[in-house]
Amino acid sequence: MLAIDFGAEGVVVISGRLDAAQSPAAQAFLDAVNGPFVLDCTRLEYISSAGLGVLLKTQKRLMASNARLKLTGLSRHLRDIFQYSGFDRIFEIEPADPE
Amino acid sequence: MSTLPARNLEPILAVVAKLAAPFDLTTMLSEVVDAAKQVLKVARGTVWLYDREADELVLRFAEDIPPLRIPAGTGLVGSCARTRKLINVPDCYSDPRFDPAMDKRLGFRTRCMLTLPLIDHRDELVGVMQVLNKPEGVFDASDEALATVLAAQCAVALQRVRMTEALIQGEKMRQQLEMARVVQMSTLPAAMPQLAGYDLFGTFRPADLTGGDTFDVALIDQGVLLVLGDATGHGIGPALSVTQMQAMLRMAFRMGADLETAFVQVNNQLAEVLPGDRFITAFIGLLDTAAHRVRFHSGGQGPILHYKAGTGAYIHHMPTSFPLAAMAMRRLEEPAVALQMDPGDVLAVVSDGIFEYRDAAGVEFGERRLLDVVRAHHKASMAELAARIFEAVAEFSRGAPQEDDMTIVLVKRSARPGVSRSFRRRLEAIEDIVAFTAEAFASEGIEAGARPAVDLALEELFTNVVKYGKSGANVTVEIARVAGGAEVTLVEDDAERFDPTRAPVIDTKAPLEERHPGGLGLHLVHKLVDAIEYRYLDEIRQGRTSFRKTMADGQKGDKK
Repeated sequence: MLAIDFGAEGVVVISGRLDAAQSPAAQAFLDAVNGPFVLDCTRLEYISSAGLGVLLKTQKRLMASNARLKLTGLSRHLRDIFQYSGFDRIFEIEPADPE
Repeated sequence: MSTLPARNLEPILAVVAKLAAPFDLTTMLSEVVDAAKQVLKVARGTVWLYDREADELVLRFAEDIPPLRIPAGTGLVGSCARTRKLINVPDCYSDPRFDPAMDKRLGFRTRCMLTLPLIDHRDELVGVMQVLNKPEGVFDASDEALATVLAAQCAVALQRVRMTEALIQGEKMRQQLEMARVVQMSTLPAAMPQLAGYDLFGTFRPADLTGGDTFDVALIDQGVLLVLGDATGHGIGPALSVTQMQAMLRMAFRMGADLETAFVQVNNQLAEVLPGDRFITAFIGLLDTAAHRVRFHSGGQGPILHYKAGTGAYIHHMPTSFPLAAMAMRRLEEPAVALQMDPGDVLAVVSDGIFEYRDAAGVEFGERRLLDVVRAHHKASMAELAARIFEAVAEFSRGAPQEDDMTIVLVKRSARPGVSRSFRRRLEAIEDIVAFTAEAFASEGIEAGARPAVDLALEELFTNVVKYGKSGANVTVEIARVAGGAEVTLVEDDAERFDPTRAPVIDTKAPLEERHPGGLGLHLVHKLVDAIEYRYLDEIRQGRTSFRKTMADGQKGDKK
């Protein structure tokens, strides 16, 4: 399951699985968010190409008004997905915390 | 329910017979309304359909008028849908649930009204029927019973038509998908280019209905074009977008574009035409069969696997860009990747339909299993290797359904006959090299007379590499039999450019103090071997020194 909502200080917090089934709900939520914002992915477990499509569409919409999406808290695995798909070039991704 | 007077049965049976005929919803709705009017002898009737997803009741008018929708639970119709019970209202204007809006709209006055749920034989609500204004008096118990019987028949008839329509819709969709598939398949290359020294193979296994893969392997002016693309999403869209991409690429290259230009232009064109959340991951490469080099850009397609036959190791290449159509770009941020195809090397590009093929337990086939298959069968033909990959996937998945297209593009540079071995870059390895050379001469049946020259040349070249090269990286010696002798290559990884064939020719007559110490060995090599050639591959920082030593007919000693 997927949950997406506003957290503290306007950060959008997403958790669970962003797959093809959950993408429409995430898209509907993100479509209503304006201006640059931070997407906290600390509890995001999974993302598929459909989920990447949701983030891509959001990023394009924000870029039209010179705003951008920033992703934080990506797990190692999700970082790999962004890198493997070349999407690390499209989103600002907060560097990993040294562990 | 009260019993029906026998005299009423005949008209009911007549209308029920009529309800069996229609196959489209519009006709069926008007048949149902007519039946109600006929059986209950009223002037007006209405049938609302229940939209389960929206939990609303829908009243259809003519095709060009948008239907009226009311939420279940609201008004007489909504209450009836909620309670699934007949509602008999003798005077509508004194019932708070009655909404006079429709009367106003139609210039009509509703007096009494029967509202009945339409429930099919699986006990599902199909809709709500309303009949109004009995000519004399109000609806009584006998009318209620009659209407209830009729409603049951209407419900079943309506449900049948709805299901038929859904089936027809599904069939239309299936036909469209099939059509998209035909277009998608028709653009795949019919035959593989046949090129000396290379084995090229591409193949595509579509999933049942969805998926958007494509590939291309074609000889064009710029080299051998290698493409593997995978459009996101399911249905007709992705199948058509990859087809579009492939056609654009062919066109761009035909018009003389280089790799970068083709990539950028096609990306920008696709970004313009595809919906905002769609993209295509794609590997686009050009193989130069003379330089044995593949240059590629990959938009989100990866990993790209390069199997090195010399060491049995893999090199994983990452994408050089985001997927095509994700966003317009002015230029590529990263340079193309260039990889060197040494003899026996295999380049494997496969779609995620293979990596992500899941068994019944949800475990993915993954990269590891793919690597194992390539390693085990890299010596086979590429067509066979592709078949082995599919076999391995089938064995792994044990009948779990194929959810995505599976596409494979394989390139192998033919292995040169001969043997090779890698050595540590230190002088102590010379002994091992000599032993390896002896083995190679024996196993390959090379003319023994060539041995002394080969030993010496190898030692001189190797010593140079140890002295001037960086330590750590391996040095590989390849020895092959040629007519009357041997061809030997010394491969130096992670090397600086140093061309021994251009080392200053020493003057053997010059006084000792004027000679460079390194020069003599190379001088000897030049004298002893037939031909020597040096190549340096910038992209992978590899130096390759090849020489040939052959004996003249019957000659057993040194030729020169």
